[in-house]
Amino acid sequence: MNTFGQDIRYGFRMLWKSPGFTLVTVLALALGIGANTAIFSVVNTVLLRPLPYANGERIVFMGEWSQQVPGMSVSYPNFIDWRDQQQTMERIAAFRSANYVVTGGGEPERLDGRQVSAGFFEVLGVQPALGRNFTPEEDKPGATPVALISHGFWQRRLGGDPSIVNKQLQLSNESYTVVGVLPQTFEWQSPVDVFVPVGLGAGNPNMTERGNHPGMYVLGLLKPNVTVEQARTEIKAIAERLAVQYPDSNGGQSAVLDSLQARAVQDIRPALLLLLAAVGFVLLIACANVANLLLARAASRSKEIAIRTALGAGRLRIIRQLLTESLLLSLMGGALGLLFAMWGIDALLAALPENVPRLLVSGIGLNTPVLLFTLTVSVLTGLLFGLAPALQASKSNLNETLKDGGRTSAGVGRQRVRNVLVVAEVALSLLLLVSAGLLIKSFMRLQETELGFNSDNVLTLRVPLPEARYTQNGQVENFWDELMRRVRALPGVESAGLTRGLPMNGGIESGIMVEGQETTNPKDATVAVNLYADPGYFKAMDIKLVNGRFISEQDTKDSPLVVMVDEMFVSKFFPSADPVGKRLRIGGDRAPLRNIIGVFKHMKHYGPDEEDEGRVEIYTPYRQVPQEFFAASNRSLWLAVKTKGDPTSLAPAIRNEVLQIDKDQPISNISTMENIVAATVAPQKFATWLLAVFAATAMLLAAIGIYGVMAYSVTQRTHEIGIRMALGAGRRDVLRMVVSQGMKLAFIGVALGLAGAVLLTRLMSSLLYGVSATDPLTYGGVSVLLATVALLACLIPARKATRVDPMIALRYE
Amino acid sequence: MIRLRNIEKVYEQGVNKTYVLRRVDLDVREGEFVSIMGPSGAGKSTLLAILGLFDSAWTGEYHFWDAAVHRLGKKERAELHKSHIGFVFQSYHLLDHLTVYENLDVPLSYKDIKKAERQAMVADVLDRFQIVGKKDLYPNQLSGGQQQLVAVARAVISNPKLILADEPTGNLHSSQGREIMELFKRLNDEGTTIIQVTHSEQNAQFGHRVVQLADGWVVKE
Repeated sequence: MNTFGQDIRYGFRMLWKSPGFTLVTVLALALGIGANTAIFSVVNTVLLRPLPYANGERIVFMGEWSQQVPGMSVSYPNFIDWRDQQQTMERIAAFRSANYVVTGGGEPERLDGRQVSAGFFEVLGVQPALGRNFTPEEDKPGATPVALISHGFWQRRLGGDPSIVNKQLQLSNESYTVVGVLPQTFEWQSPVDVFVPVGLGAGNPNMTERGNHPGMYVLGLLKPNVTVEQARTEIKAIAERLAVQYPDSNGGQSAVLDSLQARAVQDIRPALLLLLAAVGFVLLIACANVANLLLARAASRSKEIAIRTALGAGRLRIIRQLLTESLLLSLMGGALGLLFAMWGIDALLAALPENVPRLLVSGIGLNTPVLLFTLTVSVLTGLLFGLAPALQASKSNLNETLKDGGRTSAGVGRQRVRNVLVVAEVALSLLLLVSAGLLIKSFMRLQETELGFNSDNVLTLRVPLPEARYTQNGQVENFWDELMRRVRALPGVESAGLTRGLPMNGGIESGIMVEGQETTNPKDATVAVNLYADPGYFKAMDIKLVNGRFISEQDTKDSPLVVMVDEMFVSKFFPSADPVGKRLRIGGDRAPLRNIIGVFKHMKHYGPDEEDEGRVEIYTPYRQVPQEFFAASNRSLWLAVKTKGDPTSLAPAIRNEVLQIDKDQPISNISTMENIVAATVAPQKFATWLLAVFAATAMLLAAIGIYGVMAYSVTQRTHEIGIRMALGAGRRDVLRMVVSQGMKLAFIGVALGLAGAVLLTRLMSSLLYGVSATDPLTYGGVSVLLATVALLACLIPARKATRVDPMIALRYE
Repeated sequence: MIRLRNIEKVYEQGVNKTYVLRRVDLDVREGEFVSIMGPSGAGKSTLLAILGLFDSAWTGEYHFWDAAVHRLGKKERAELHKSHIGFVFQSYHLLDHLTVYENLDVPLSYKDIKKAERQAMVADVLDRFQIVGKKDLYPNQLSGGQQQLVAVARAVISNPKLILADEPTGNLHSSQGREIMELFKRLNDEGTTIIQVTHSEQNAQFGHRVVQLADGWVVKE
């Protein structure tokens, strides 16, 4: 212990004596460890930490499955059957989105709500901070309406009223009794203000029909010792039994079940793992550089080590001394790295895509697991970069070194280790550069993707009309007519339109049947993204007409039913005929026939990276929505407003127009179409730019590595270069010798890196769009780039070598 | 073959000037064997470096055959050196990580000589110097005398007209030194011009004449 303390003291003194070396090393390590800490803090919170619920690791997510819609929502009757028949879960509960407008006690406000079945909060293990959970009796049609409210809503809207429980709340013109307030710590996928029992509406036709999928999904709490796989097998078996029992509604359907954690992180997981691997590589490269520096230092310390050996130090003792110095360096790097990580985490959180669920992101920071990670990484780093130099140094030949009078010489073994390190650095940085190159190319492809509309200067917003006040079709239609008349008259508005769903957010999918091409089983009907809009929408979004005409003001509820189809539809049903004038049915064989009036260019409704196959799109006039659904379907429409200048500046004016028509009517989801498009590619952008930064860092470190090795080699070979020049070598010969030595290492590194990239980039193919994981252009370009950087790194020491004066070199001895 | 006139070499440090060579005049005819002698710091090695075209920072006139060296650029001097001059050092200066064979090949590799021809030339020299059996050994596997033998072989491999030797026997014991000097004598008898720097009167006896240097001046010729 005493000698260990001595090692530490001596180590500090040695590092203090070489401040330049210590500073460079600690800085390089701090960058590497800091980047790893920052990324790990995100990975730990998002991927590794169980969801912030009691028994978070036992919560599973369920949906229905069909060949055409693999992630379908669950019909209410199916949910009831699942609930009653399953054995592997303690309980299961359903949830679906539902928005409400709260009135009374202030401005009307649109609320984000969820309808949930009784037991939902028990699955999550959440107890209200005030009041109680829903009872099964409250989760039935005809029960007294009750609500649970979030802590945020309670504070914001209700002033944290401590006696709120059992008070009434006006939600969309209906009175709900507040039964509880959720704890402040409770988080769901996105902020929710209010929860109400789903069973209240279970008597509605869209809930009672087994074939209707009302956007509802199911959570379950696994019994202890039951695996996800067991539960999946069971729920699939139940779903398949139901498919046999109810072939009309459930034929060909099954179920999907996954852990809620896996489901929540499925979009961000590949990007985070890629970034974790990338920062790991950056740290390895930094380690290789530090190891190289230490090897050079060990060479210059060989006399000191020889003297220590002569004085009786054993090899282990020497290794321990040198490793102590390495560990001191890495721990200092780790400490500084924590500081870098704090900034890094802030930057990461700012750059993290907004669509990463909030409940995953909360708690990212320097917590105990992250600090333990940093400490472990620091110690491992110290051992990693310190071991090879310590082993090499401790092997120095006592006799030779002392006889030599302290002259340093590069041992062949030491040089070999340095060469191997540089090759590894180049290979790793090539791997990172290829990955970054592929992502950049992929991101560029995404940006260049033809979206089918023009998002420039388009303001979008949603106006959710409350059901209680807008019960009649006429009321709804009049509201929109009046609003659109007013909006179009606003200064700065070029055009404006209404739609049921904006691009990028998916859409309602309906089965379509083309006259003359009907399928025998309605289940096999082509599923189309079924949208409706008013004529102004096509102009505001600058949608391209390929054939025929757009929906016009003449297409009313009294005129013949019409539909517009996209190019996908044409290539599927009429590859060699004109579809205009043909007819189709939407939603089953009893639905009315509609005339196809025009063909529009396919729009990317599922984001720029959507796979086009099978995504047929159709538009119908919103006025031609069947009268029985008219009010329900059209109460919540989106506005798309094309403006002459900055679109966001028009939002207050539009809000004002809405209030002029209905003083209790809020508007929501105000955004620009550009932002909506940008949000869909945010995960790719996040991963791309971070990886690009890490790859550039890796390349810089590799270049420094090559430079360091070559500069050291030139110093060590000054004598040899002198001899060669005395024997007739010209400047060019010397330049060629040094450069070829360095480039040989670079080329071996590039070759190994390419092989590694072919093997490893396959793992990131889910992040790529429009570019193959083995894109030859990226591989070639990156190899040339890295080779050029390596060449530049070699040229500096090579030029120095050509300036060796043979006479001075020969007198060197 | 060599004509030096008024050669001067100065090191300037601030306002101080240190003369290493002063007004050196020297003529060496083809086929001569000249020994340069003098105490340490007399300028012997500097003179040898100038003669060997390694050093270009001097003033005066230097004619190597018909070439006015003082007017030549760096490249031309290097070319002249490469074609006509071989160098032998006190410490042999063999390249440690190359075998005897490879060491002999080094000077040839800097000339535009085809590989087959180079192989023949190396084989010939190995044979002439009777070191065929040592061709695959590394320098540290040879004795000092053997290393200097290889160094001389390396100096003559491209048939230089002039061999410059800087205390070639300085690191050898007397019998090895004698063998090397006899080798120089033989080469000289075969027509190679030799200029050696030596401290040894005995070695100087192998040459035709002695040039004495002191404090940068030629004091006796």
